Amino acid sequence: MEILKVENLSRTYGSGEARVEALKQASFSMQRGEFGAVVGVSGSGKSTLLNCIGGLDKADAGNVFINGQDVFAMDENERTIFRRQNIGFIFQSFHLIPELNVEQNIIFPLLLDYRKPDQNRVDEILQVLGLENRRKHLPGQLSGGQQQRVAIGRALVTRPALVLADEPTGNLDSQSSQDVMDLLCRAARHYQQTVLMITHNMDLTAAADRVFRVSDGRLKELGGASE
Amino acid sequence: MKHYLDLIKISAKQHRKENRMTRLCIALAVFLVTVIFGMADMEMRSQMIQSVKSYGNWHAAFVLDEEQGALLRARPEVKNSARYGVLNYYLKDGYQIQGVETAVCGFDKELLEMFPDVEILEGTFPENAGEAVLNESAKTRFGVQTGDTVEMTIPQGETRQYRVTGIAREMALMAEHDAFGMFLNTEGYSALRPEETGAAREEIYYVQFQPWCNIQKAIAEIGAQFGLQPEEMRQNVQVLALMFQSRDSYMMKFYYTAAVLALLVMIAGVLMITASMNSNIARRTEFFGMLRCLGATGRQVTRFVRREALGWCRTAIPAGVGAGILVVWVLCGILRFLSPGLFDGLPVFGISFPGTAAGIIVGFLTVLMAARAPAKRASRVSPLTAVSGNGGTVQEAKHAANTRFFKVDTALGIHHASGSRKNFWLVTGSFGFSIILFLSFSTAIDFMHHAITPLRPSAPDIYIYKEDNSNQIPSGLDEELEHAPGVKRAFGRSYGQITTADGRLLELISYEGHQFQWAEKSLTEGSLEDAVSGKGVLSVFREKDTLRTGSSILVSVDGKEQELFVAGVLGDVPFTHGTAGNAENTAGMVICSEELFQKLIGESDYVVLDIQLEQNADDAQVQEIRRTCEQECKSGFAYSDKRIGNQEVKGASYSMSVFLYGFLGVIALISFFNIVNCIAMGVSARMREYGAMRAIGMSVRQVIRMTAGEALTYMFFGMAVGCAAGLPLNRMLFTALVTSRWGEAWSIPGWEILVISVIMIGSVCAAVAGPAAQIRKMTVVDTIGV
Repeated sequence: MEILKVENLSRTYGSGEARVEALKQASFSMQRGEFGAVVGVSGSGKSTLLNCIGGLDKADAGNVFINGQDVFAMDENERTIFRRQNIGFIFQSFHLIPELNVEQNIIFPLLLDYRKPDQNRVDEILQVLGLENRRKHLPGQLSGGQQQRVAIGRALVTRPALVLADEPTGNLDSQSSQDVMDLLCRAARHYQQTVLMITHNMDLTAAADRVFRVSDGRLKELGGASE
Repeated sequence: MKHYLDLIKISAKQHRKENRMTRLCIALAVFLVTVIFGMADMEMRSQMIQSVKSYGNWHAAFVLDEEQGALLRARPEVKNSARYGVLNYYLKDGYQIQGVETAVCGFDKELLEMFPDVEILEGTFPENAGEAVLNESAKTRFGVQTGDTVEMTIPQGETRQYRVTGIAREMALMAEHDAFGMFLNTEGYSALRPEETGAAREEIYYVQFQPWCNIQKAIAEIGAQFGLQPEEMRQNVQVLALMFQSRDSYMMKFYYTAAVLALLVMIAGVLMITASMNSNIARRTEFFGMLRCLGATGRQVTRFVRREALGWCRTAIPAGVGAGILVVWVLCGILRFLSPGLFDGLPVFGISFPGTAAGIIVGFLTVLMAARAPAKRASRVSPLTAVSGNGGTVQEAKHAANTRFFKVDTALGIHHASGSRKNFWLVTGSFGFSIILFLSFSTAIDFMHHAITPLRPSAPDIYIYKEDNSNQIPSGLDEELEHAPGVKRAFGRSYGQITTADGRLLELISYEGHQFQWAEKSLTEGSLEDAVSGKGVLSVFREKDTLRTGSSILVSVDGKEQELFVAGVLGDVPFTHGTAGNAENTAGMVICSEELFQKLIGESDYVVLDIQLEQNADDAQVQEIRRTCEQECKSGFAYSDKRIGNQEVKGASYSMSVFLYGFLGVIALISFFNIVNCIAMGVSARMREYGAMRAIGMSVRQVIRMTAGEALTYMFFGMAVGCAAGLPLNRMLFTALVTSRWGEAWSIPGWEILVISVIMIGSVCAAVAGPAAQIRKMTVVDTIGV
């Protein structure tokens, strides 16, 4: 089942001499449960691609369909609600809410929907993340790896169709990085969620089903990690 | 870049917006202090102008003989002195011009400088003993011109000839006492005085002391030197009070009130600046961490913060002082526009040095003091903070938000406000201080309403009265006068005394409809109804032994005992009731209806008749009113024209109103800007966090709700703190200013609380609306930097 479909996506910043074509007619699609990795050097356009797919940024041309819904056809408010219900975000610098504890941070997208979280699901996520004993801790009381695990829990709690991860291991040591990768793989394999991850580290693409490279704004599929 | 402190300029360019907010906050605090102190200074100046016009600009007066007078003049602290004597002050001694009793004043020419109100409109001051100056009403009544000769009959039956050298402006006091005045020089006065035998004689030395002299000490020393009794020394209380030289107990309370208010204004300024700087430094923790990471020592960071703060002062303090001066100019302009004749001496473009100095000092000192704590905090930032990845722009939370009782957006808003205890109390304190200031200054308005009598609707322009307190002004005269041209309203009062069962005297005053209506505002307890219908009486407040509502007074009328029921208590009455009102051998004063008065005393005519004039009433109409009164009352009545006096007090009331309402307006404005700025700073500090929330899926509406939650939390607690501290302060100041003098009991200032609450709520709405627009325009990608 096709979860993500990107068609001729283009994004340009600035004008005149300062004009930068960050993304040039990128097209690809992903099926349910697929784990994709996007690699490329700094400034190649990886983050722009992810931001456009997640509806954080608007494209100049092209379309993004998630679960068959055109993300750019929605107004700002609809897109926001769509995002919190269908997309899970994981950032390099975590972006946890410092005033909320681990459990509150994880259920935050549900709270934004004024929904009552399913406690079993929350417990399950906490267990999978290995944070049962830290549920009342504030982000400031956690290590970087633990904080990123909380961010992953937050991304998964709404059972989104698509999880977008922007260099999720960029701030982590190797052990924490491995833990994060395991969790993302588990999300794809066990919960059948589509994961698209940006990374600098080619080693991390080993776990991915498909690998894309962005170079000077052009997207090229390198094939499966095994290839 | 040659020095690490040059980074301040570069950093300022990057954080222009945040720094602008801090600068605005400093400018607002400086503006508040400058404007309040500047306005107080201008109000003092305008009151001084009023007081000098009404009472003269002498400081003290002593009854002395010539030899003592010479010694007094030789004292080093005496700057200026003038001898003054008056004959026939009470217009009963037989000094008459064309059969009309005339007061004769003899004084040195220097006295004219001490009494600017004694102005010679035409001609010159008498040069020799045979010359005199007459007042305007004498000129009108006798038709005398400068250069004419007038003949004065003295009590011994002789006559004296005086050449009129000038005409003096009508003075409020002379108009009020309907007196004719003749001014002589001291030579002429001395020549007239030896023949005087039984007439009242007074010889006073009016004194102006040197600047910076301790006047009270000087007065005490002069009293001791000449062995003077207290009644032989007088002080110009109003002028001395405005020079902070009075020791009058009421003025001391006034000074104390002013000191409390000044302190509050200072604290408000300090709080505003501290809150803003605290917030500015807090949101740059990462930046300071980076400085530390690059090798800056804690001391260097402290220096950086201090130097940066002083940089803000360079623009913010002149801006605040400039805006403050501008507002003071506008208020002075309004005052001169409202009452042009009275405030000519008030500079429109005057600079208040106390106001400007207070603004600058408070600004600089507060910024330096306020910079200390954040500078210390900044210097303690760990270098790790900058590189840890989670070294955000906001302070780390100490406890989690409560999402159980509130929706997550509201809960986060509340937590943003209350998360940092120090910041919470600083912002809440600065919000609360607006209320405290408002409630404190509003007592000055209550004071003004009590102190300025002509503002009352009952104030007469002219009144006639029987000097012997007999009810002989015909009761129909009020109705007759009401139909006369130029008269707006006329109403009378009767006066009587009855004996109570315990043998004390009870003063009884009758009121008609208008006066009862006006009395409602002075009613401190009980109701008017029973008094209007004649079933009861209203007692007038006395400092001791006030007749309370519900009590009865047993009085003896025609040998029969009768009970008078006290239906209510009036805080004050719009006429002087002398010391009798407070004397221990009297039972006090009560107000009753005309019917009850007639029943008790058996008289229906009046002792006093008040006349209020139409705004355009002219002198000819006033003369006609006088003629009518003379015809109806035959003789033995006194006529008092209070128009000039009313005008003077009205001027004082204008100046007080303009400045006091100006104070409240400035406080309201400051509250508004402070709230808007505080919320804007909070939002600006959390913008990155808001961006992350938006990325996760928080809608714009939810972010705004979160901001509103934060603003409302500050407002709610600010109001609670403001009312908790402001109400006792309001009560304390009200008691000192109003209750102690007029007896009106303190009550919760509902209107004031309502007004400041509306201002606060309006400010919060405006405070949320600004960031809401910013949040709507926010691009998530740029904000969180992904």
